[in-house]
Amino acid sequence: MGALAVGASWGMDASRSHPADAADKDAIDLTTQYPFYDQAEPAGIRTPPQRYSIFMTFDLVDGSLRTDLQSLLARWTAASAQLMRAEPIGQVQPSSDAGVGQDTGEALGLDAASLTVTIGLGPSIFDDRFGLADKRPALLRRLPKLPSDNLTPETSDGDLSVQVCADDPQVCYHAIRNLARMARDTVQTRWTVMGFGRASAGKGQQTPRNLFGFKDGTRNISTGADFDKYVWLKDADWMTGGTYQVVRKIEMNIETWDADRVSDQEHIFGRGKTHGEPLSGSVEHDTPRFAAKGKDGEAIIAPTSHIALAAHENNGGIKILRRGYNYTDGINEFGQLDAGLLFVCYQNDPAHFVQLQRKLGAADLLNEYVKHVGSGLFAIPPSPKTGHYIGEQLFT
Amino acid sequence: MPKSTVRLAAVPGAAVAVALALTACGSSSSGGSANRASGGSSASNAAAKVSGGAAQVGVTLTSAGGCELDHASAPAGPVTFTITNKDATAITEIELQSDQRILGEKENLAPGLAPVKFTATLSGGKYQLYCPGADKENVPFTVTGKAAAAASGSTATVLAEGTKGYAKFVNQNAADMVTAIGKLKAAVDKGDVAAAKKAYAGARPFYEKIESDVGGFVLPGFKPGDNAGNLDYLIDMRQSNLDPKVGWHGFHAVEKDLWQGGKITPQTKKYAKELHTNVGKLAKLVKGVTYKPEDLANGAASLLEEVQTNKIKGEEEKYSHTDLSDFASNVEGAQQAFAFLKPGLQKIDPALTARVSKQFTNVTNGLTPYRDGASLGGFKPWTAQLRKTDAAKLSKKVQALQDPLSQIAQKVATAG
Repeated sequence: MGALAVGASWGMDASRSHPADAADKDAIDLTTQYPFYDQAEPAGIRTPPQRYSIFMTFDLVDGSLRTDLQSLLARWTAASAQLMRAEPIGQVQPSSDAGVGQDTGEALGLDAASLTVTIGLGPSIFDDRFGLADKRPALLRRLPKLPSDNLTPETSDGDLSVQVCADDPQVCYHAIRNLARMARDTVQTRWTVMGFGRASAGKGQQTPRNLFGFKDGTRNISTGADFDKYVWLKDADWMTGGTYQVVRKIEMNIETWDADRVSDQEHIFGRGKTHGEPLSGSVEHDTPRFAAKGKDGEAIIAPTSHIALAAHENNGGIKILRRGYNYTDGINEFGQLDAGLLFVCYQNDPAHFVQLQRKLGAADLLNEYVKHVGSGLFAIPPSPKTGHYIGEQLFT
Repeated sequence: MPKSTVRLAAVPGAAVAVALALTACGSSSSGGSANRASGGSSASNAAAKVSGGAAQVGVTLTSAGGCELDHASAPAGPVTFTITNKDATAITEIELQSDQRILGEKENLAPGLAPVKFTATLSGGKYQLYCPGADKENVPFTVTGKAAAAASGSTATVLAEGTKGYAKFVNQNAADMVTAIGKLKAAVDKGDVAAAKKAYAGARPFYEKIESDVGGFVLPGFKPGDNAGNLDYLIDMRQSNLDPKVGWHGFHAVEKDLWQGGKITPQTKKYAKELHTNVGKLAKLVKGVTYKPEDLANGAASLLEEVQTNKIKGEEEKYSHTDLSDFASNVEGAQQAFAFLKPGLQKIDPALTARVSKQFTNVTNGLTPYRDGASLGGFKPWTAQLRKTDAAKLSKKVQALQDPLSQIAQKVATAG
């Protein structure tokens, strides 16, 4: 385990820098384990965001049967529980020379590192292939086309989604690799994003930064009351206690952004870059005053700034839980850095995301610097009881 | 391309040297999880009670590596095994065996699913419950009472028949390869580039079908690590992996001259002549090889690896782009090996047999759109452009076959 010191000042104006206080330092204990079974909530949602994440979606192979899907979910469930306990999912060393290992082995000796596995069901599994049409979660429909969508099928949708998060990237990779491997004749990989840095904060964590260098998610959902009101499903039959997962792969035009003057960047976000204070306030957690006007008579926080468009005050009170990660795919075909935000959010009604993104996609000043290239909506069933499995109610 | 395995051609019949413990009894190798509770039976000594006309035995599978019976014995007659997979991800099937014969089995034992049962009518004697993936894979089970009749027509005999059939297939294929390369040599000698290209494409499939069986032969008088005596190197080495001390020989040297150079030089003729000589030597050596059932399974698996590592990426036929023809030949060779194992495997594990068969059909069907009688090798050229759009799709189909196929070796090796 090791605590990482953050908050060093980079030669800024001393009056604007201050050492991070203790609460701002995120200490990591790699031995931390989260339980999988018998929880009030599925893992990996309210869980304080770990440092790394891999998101992957899968399609059932042609000719798969209902029983194939059932045994896949049952095996993924038990494997997830084992992985989260830092156990291999089977023998690494087969008992005969002619055998192949059941676990690939690269996590042997590593701690659980707060691993969570979150399994989602895509709208497509409720088509006519598996006879599950009558079990479709009420609000699980493919997201509608949204303004500024630039989606490619190769980075969108999927029959099933798996989000793994951990404080050790190898623990993450081992988990997703073994889940993919154990199901290779049932599912094929569809798309994946590897997140290398959390871009959202949980309780007690300092607000992290996206690759634009700004604090992101200052006003994220954090109270129990907000989770109950906006995240978890109530009276939703077998989905009660579950939620909906929206995933967007958002490319950032890094080079262009880096060439923009910081004052303009702050204008686009509506916050200061160094401390994340709303432009109408002085410290990060000041409530933004969207009506405040400057000496020139203009709104201090531009109405088309990111925080103004996304704020619950300006959206009929709607809130979503954001749990995203920064990602990089290396270098693109134009020789530019290929990176962005793996935007993940959880809400009890996908229409909440849709409403926000309709507005952001149409007017956000940030749109000049971002491109939504991937998208998916998945239903996250509630945490299974011991001896049971995720989605069991689909097959009863 | 050459494998790391080395076989000494001088010793016919002992060519494939993978030592296998045929009875895996009690070899408890924990999966590297040192702190894992040791698995094994905690069966009570009392015989299982008869209820509803059958003795009732419960089997519980756990993630701690356990495959546990609640009773270690039962009276002769019908015995019902009720299997509950509590939380064992790694154990997906169990089999009741006697003298390597399978008397009953259950597959798809996913954790959390409802318990499943099977019943077998058993005579007195020793049995084993085989739980692949458990820490203790073979759990003894005793039936008391009337003794069993001796088994006949064992699975091992059927498998052995299959390996003999496969050896004939390999030998015939090797002989055909020598003929096909004779045609290539003749076309090269005549200086006819078009005819030589056609002959090249016509000869490649014979090598690709049996590639996994012909790798690693070392000519007499050479050390195992010396590529100058490594027949696979001399026949099939690609330019990207050359050993500078030995230089380039074989198929792909000819390929480059024909496609990139576009002409036949004295050096091309030398390459073709030497290739013809070397495949002749290879065909003789192959004749001496006998195969074990697991060799067929492992060979099939390594042919699919060849597809995934070299053909899919277009690295094998860098100049002629006939990779899809090689791809199809690798798959066909693997399918042949599987077909010869099938009668025995069917007895051991009908569900796995069905899965592998289905996936072979999937892969073969997946190749159908690329068939093109007008192209060399009978398939569309595997160009960079086509790879970009289609490689992932084809690779995934092969992957779905590789996984169940990789389970076969262990099954047939332990079938005694």
